[in-house]
Amino acid sequence: MIRINRRKLITTSAVLAIAALTVATVPAQALNPNMGSDPGVTASSIKLGITSPLTGIAAPGYSKIPGAMKAYFDYVNTNGGVYNRKITLVSKDDQYIPTTAVAKANELILRDKVFALVGTLGTASTKALTASTQLSKRGIPSLFVNSGWSGFADSKAYPTTFPHLPSYQMEAKIMAKYVKETYPGKKIALIYQDDDFGRDALAGFKTAGLTFDTYIPYASGSQSLPATGAGWISKLKTAGTEVTVLFGVSSASTAALANAYAAGFKTQWVLGSVGGDATTIAATNKAYVGFLYGAKGFSFAPATTDTTDEYVKLFQGIYAAAQPTETFDNNVLAGMSNAFLTVQALKAAGANLTRAGLMKAIETKGSTFANPFLTPLGYSSTAHIGAQGYWVGTYGPTGALTPDGGKFAYVVYTTDSGTGPVVLSTYKRPAMPAKGL
Amino acid sequence: MKISLKSRIVSAFAVTALAGTVVVGAPTAANAAPQCATASYVTQCGGVGADGAPYAFIAAANFNGTVFLYSHGVRPAIDIPATLAPVGPYTKTNAAEPGPLAISGDLTVINSLVAAGYGVAGSGYSRQGVNATEALAANKELIATFKEKFPTTKTVIAWGASLGALHTQMLAEKNPELVDGVILACPAANPQDALIAYFGDALWGFKALFDPTIKVGGYSTDPVVRAGEQHANIGKVLTVLGKLSAGLSSGAWPDTSSPAGKALEKAGIPSRSALLTVGLMAGVSTRSKHVDGTSGPTGAAETYPLAVAPAVAILENMGATLNYGTLLIADGELLAGGKVYDNSKTDYAARVAADADIYSFALSGNSAVAGIIGALAATPRETADAAAVAKIAPLIGLTGKITKPTIIFQAESEEFVPASIVQWYIDGYAEQYAAAKMKAMADAKKSRSYVAPTNNLVVLWAKTAAKYSQFTAAGSPDLSATQGAGTGHCNWTAAQWLAAANLMTATLKDGKFPLGGKITTTARKVGLSYDTKFRVPLFKSLQ
Repeated sequence: MIRINRRKLITTSAVLAIAALTVATVPAQALNPNMGSDPGVTASSIKLGITSPLTGIAAPGYSKIPGAMKAYFDYVNTNGGVYNRKITLVSKDDQYIPTTAVAKANELILRDKVFALVGTLGTASTKALTASTQLSKRGIPSLFVNSGWSGFADSKAYPTTFPHLPSYQMEAKIMAKYVKETYPGKKIALIYQDDDFGRDALAGFKTAGLTFDTYIPYASGSQSLPATGAGWISKLKTAGTEVTVLFGVSSASTAALANAYAAGFKTQWVLGSVGGDATTIAATNKAYVGFLYGAKGFSFAPATTDTTDEYVKLFQGIYAAAQPTETFDNNVLAGMSNAFLTVQALKAAGANLTRAGLMKAIETKGSTFANPFLTPLGYSSTAHIGAQGYWVGTYGPTGALTPDGGKFAYVVYTTDSGTGPVVLSTYKRPAMPAKGL
Repeated sequence: MKISLKSRIVSAFAVTALAGTVVVGAPTAANAAPQCATASYVTQCGGVGADGAPYAFIAAANFNGTVFLYSHGVRPAIDIPATLAPVGPYTKTNAAEPGPLAISGDLTVINSLVAAGYGVAGSGYSRQGVNATEALAANKELIATFKEKFPTTKTVIAWGASLGALHTQMLAEKNPELVDGVILACPAANPQDALIAYFGDALWGFKALFDPTIKVGGYSTDPVVRAGEQHANIGKVLTVLGKLSAGLSSGAWPDTSSPAGKALEKAGIPSRSALLTVGLMAGVSTRSKHVDGTSGPTGAAETYPLAVAPAVAILENMGATLNYGTLLIADGELLAGGKVYDNSKTDYAARVAADADIYSFALSGNSAVAGIIGALAATPRETADAAAVAKIAPLIGLTGKITKPTIIFQAESEEFVPASIVQWYIDGYAEQYAAAKMKAMADAKKSRSYVAPTNNLVVLWAKTAAKYSQFTAAGSPDLSATQGAGTGHCNWTAAQWLAAANLMTATLKDGKFPLGGKITTTARKVGLSYDTKFRVPLFKSLQ
């Protein structure tokens, strides 16, 4: 028999009443026993940080990404934020110098005390800052890094890092299938960045069984030297190259296209997704954009000109209001997509926001997050895989990439970073959440 | 440090008395009583220890019972001629050094401490070079001698710079009963032979690529021949560095380069990429006194930091790394009786794997790195003498255990004793503290009262600034410009030494370090940083 005296009963009732009152009126942090243990999050705010090139050799194009992310976060904030928390983005300029990226990441973590890093840009910079600042050991999330290096999907080596781009290996495998089927018997060359970026691509091409007649590696950054591009074209001419695959950044594409034009050298250009950004090419010389005309390109997101796409339409509207003088391009779409995915992750993590909870949410629910991409996401507790495929398109005279399947009819191929086949994707992107939130 | 009125009066005289010199004439007979002279309330003593080590100590009439025992940094064990400038001219000396900066004629630290009532003491040691055994004996003897002269001595704070910090820590480890507090400035240490590997890897890489006649080890046991070999090595290193400097822009290789190096030159790999590879193999800092790695001259502001700066920084740093490496490895071999550097199993490809992307442009890409690493295969590896390795460990080895309140201060970017050493101390102490905490928790289960262990380690960093490079009108780094903060070896100011001294005396008085905010303020006032979350990379051989 359980005896409950009157005094005990009154006390219990009072506790229950207070508890109910608390749930109804106290902000979210009161519900979270860990609140306060993770920096950068309060009842009303979430502070995120990004380090990326705002100046330096990679700034043209890429410098628009933080602004695009902020535009979307502001849109979310004006619509109530995430669980009533407003998102702020602290942006640092690393000039695309990996050692500077380390210093800036340290500033974000130690001085600005951000909750998470988001959208760090470049394979070398992201690898360097991840190792030097010990993100894994300190349990700091690094969300949706702007690098397709396949190594970041290794959740054991990079437990707090989450890529969102398809890996360069996937891209190379899909490129290889396209090149083999479209240009049989042609003399083919590959210009590639001689680091992990290019090494990933080489692995993909090898897996897909594509060998090149000419290989031209270049050290990242050396494309900014005038002699570099001229040297490539000289080698291509000597080899009698008919099709040139370029797996590098857009400044490398600029060097290649401009020097080819200057030398009167004609080849069918096939550009990787990183290297075909018209804005970046135009930043060097607007006239160079025309050199893109007819080149083949790859993307996993809808075309920036595709206003039939609900995400593109929404993002264009948000960006036009936030940055009325800026052009909506691939970098803006990438930045806003990144911010969108970040918000989905924050929502999935729930009201009691912790770093560990956020990462768990991506691992367990990330593959079902709403997102603008035309390929499925592959997050799981055993692998941090983002998008998983590409569509092929052709660059028009203004530098816009449109799908080869017809006007905004995307024929998407999907594969993995291993030995899996390249197949047509049957993925149907779910409808965008209401108001894109 | 509060100073009473009486002390202030004494101090005024003390400062005057010390302004000229700190070392009185020392008796020549070993182990004799110190010769002392008192003037203006200040007593200065000099003497010679049992093994012939000269020493000096000073205290004023207001001596408060605390003495600072200083261990000076490395001095080469051989004379170095002026022809080997800027390493020489140097004449071997055992002169006593009772406090920081005194050897350069700056008596600010000594004057301030003595004026405030502290004693200062330091030996010159009977032997230079790798002299931990002699230093330990001399320091122990000097403490006893000082206490005999000043029987009111209650507290000994041991401090030292560079190799002197190794001596200081060794004293604290082997004779903890003799010291109460420890201050280690830019400390040398050789955890698992990592410092030997640091010097040896740099020298071996230079030999393999730029001059096959450079010696990495295997010096003669004959003192005259050995000195000649060291001089020759320093000369070769200086020559190669000069040629690499001349070829920085063009990529030209020194004409002394090995056949493997010449093949790389033929393949179009610039010498600066090979130089950077060697630096990264060894773990030499890519920021130097005058090269920040993020700035470029007008017209190349964007490409210079990526393409050239890391190699220039390595070039500036390599002088100290290679030349002190020559001197210390040669001396270490002499003490150990054989070769102490071993790279027979070192995987240099793994050493540079993580750096290859970070410095891709300066390294000329992954293919060039693979070529450079491949070219190293043409040079035989060095194999150490097992008996010598076994002998060197107890001679200079430290456990890194912190049992007394300890302050360490260190520059983030340092070419001679890398900041990795301090990270080793930090990591070791973190484990030590965690174990102490576990024990305290276990004890609390019995006593029902938890007493947290006291923190005994404070590390103050001279962090390297983001930008400090200056360039000449021709676009070259200006090596005559002001040195960047947080760079170079043991460039401490008197104010920084005194801040550490003040922090230690306050800690010993209170029985614990002050709160973090106070340490932060103290550090900031002298240009240092107290940041418990700050980390630097470990030695390459320990990663």
